[in-house]
Amino acid sequence: MLFPTLDFAIFFLPVLILVWTAGQASNEWRKIILLLASWVFYGVWDWRFVALLIASAAINWSIAARIDARLARDQAAQPWLAIGVAANLAILGWFKYYGFFVTEVAGVLAGLGWSRDLPVIEVILPVGISFFTFQGMSYLIDVARRDTRPATFLDLTLLMSFFPHLVAGPIVRASHLVPQFASKPRLTRGMVASAIILIIWGLFKKTVVASELSVALVDKVFFDPSAQTGLDLLAGAYGYAVQIYCDFSAYSDMAVGLAALLGYRFPRNFLSPYRAASLQDFWRRWHISLSNWLRDYLYISLGGSRGSIWFLCRNLMITMLLGGLWHGAKWTFLIWGALHGGVLAMERLWRQWRPAGWPTLPAPLAVLMIFHIVVVGWIFFRADTLAGALDYFVQLWAFRPGVALASPLLVGLIGVGMAIHFTPPNLLPAMARRVATWPAPVLGLAAAGAVLLIDAMRFEGVAAFIYYQF
Amino acid sequence: MASKFDSPVDVDADAAGLPGLAHMAIVLGTALLVLMLGNAHALAAWADGLEPSARSAQIAVFAHGVADQTAALGLDGPRAALKSRWDNAKRLRWDDQAVADAPHDIGTQLGEPISAQR
Repeated sequence: MLFPTLDFAIFFLPVLILVWTAGQASNEWRKIILLLASWVFYGVWDWRFVALLIASAAINWSIAARIDARLARDQAAQPWLAIGVAANLAILGWFKYYGFFVTEVAGVLAGLGWSRDLPVIEVILPVGISFFTFQGMSYLIDVARRDTRPATFLDLTLLMSFFPHLVAGPIVRASHLVPQFASKPRLTRGMVASAIILIIWGLFKKTVVASELSVALVDKVFFDPSAQTGLDLLAGAYGYAVQIYCDFSAYSDMAVGLAALLGYRFPRNFLSPYRAASLQDFWRRWHISLSNWLRDYLYISLGGSRGSIWFLCRNLMITMLLGGLWHGAKWTFLIWGALHGGVLAMERLWRQWRPAGWPTLPAPLAVLMIFHIVVVGWIFFRADTLAGALDYFVQLWAFRPGVALASPLLVGLIGVGMAIHFTPPNLLPAMARRVATWPAPVLGLAAAGAVLLIDAMRFEGVAAFIYYQF
Repeated sequence: MASKFDSPVDVDADAAGLPGLAHMAIVLGTALLVLMLGNAHALAAWADGLEPSARSAQIAVFAHGVADQTAALGLDGPRAALKSRWDNAKRLRWDDQAVADAPHDIGTQLGEPISAQR
């Protein structure tokens, strides 16, 4: 069930009404309604996944209780923490990396002249598994670090199952949401205005910009780069940068907006990433909940910057390589992670050893340079295979003349996608503050007008969000 | 132990007027009504996509009835006009793009360099 569909609207409106009517009787009932709704939402993909979600929550809840009990006795949390993290990684590894592992091992064995039929099992990847397993791990680590109190089973299951963030984030931590579950939330006009703007804005970015670019340009150029002109390949690379931003940030915007209508606050996940003047800055703006997760639970656990500059570079590289693998078991994701890790390390080395008196790069040039490094990374990220990515660069270098796919509208949409990044950062809160003062029927009319406009422009049908596959 | 975090919905709005819940109910109710009247064809298209059954047939009859009535009143006009303009924008091509337009239907051209298609 995708957010920008009538199916989802027909699911969401009764849930919203139930939560704000029957759910007002008691906070526990409110949470139970939300939990059941979340399971229905997830079960639409496959009911077996709901069992996995409940099992994952039960494992994390019981292990957190044991960690807390050990801490209460002044004992080390490590044994149970290690078991809990291993259990989460085992779930993730089985569903996400088993096929890749078997294929690669079979290839290595064949290369050694020792071909063996390895057991191949068709493992179906549960939607959003990377998100809820990371959520489970961060919960256990937070409990072990005494950063959060153990949650009740209901709260933890709801935290991991809550449908607005379930399949594509943001990665909402226990410390973000569990305290909000403690009492019935209060809805303000500011939240309503922000939510309506975020949902409509997300709808526009996903159904108009991302879908149009995907179907009319990006999918075609990446399917067969050798059949494309240089300008189309260039537009395809920029187009994918805009598509993935508009697709993923649209999901986050709608998730934040939907949660707000239910009375809950989610953290910010994007902040104009393509206006970053360094790659470190980029990761403070792109998929913020994942980059914070990697920083807090992986980079710092590896030692962070507590050591020599080479130790820090090693940690950055490991973090980004694993960040790449988080997206999936593919060499292209690994190279994408290596590129980001390598450039992050180079930035640190340059900051350390930049010759005194050398001028710094003007900000617009730095933004342009970082954007193009990110675009190079996206080509690896988007390509189905490593050979496909390399072919993209070869064909781009050959730069066959002419233009076939990149129509004025598509170029315009790429321009819109980029221009979004250079609007004032306080535009949304300023708009929301103003819109919150409008009479409700006027805001309703304006929202309907915006949806009508988007519906007239949107591509027929809605493709799944890119991050659903992760 | 709750951590403070930045959320896009943290907006200090004017507290005057209806409380948030009543405000939301009227906003969504108005929007739904307007969309039902101005975009009823979307409901009809959704109903057509339902799995065939006696109930889905009833839903489809109702949805198409609403779509026909709103169309008869001209309420679908604004959306249709907007769509027509957007479709025109989609058909726009650069001056030197005309000869290379064919690959838009890439399904029939795969594996063949564009230069060879010209």
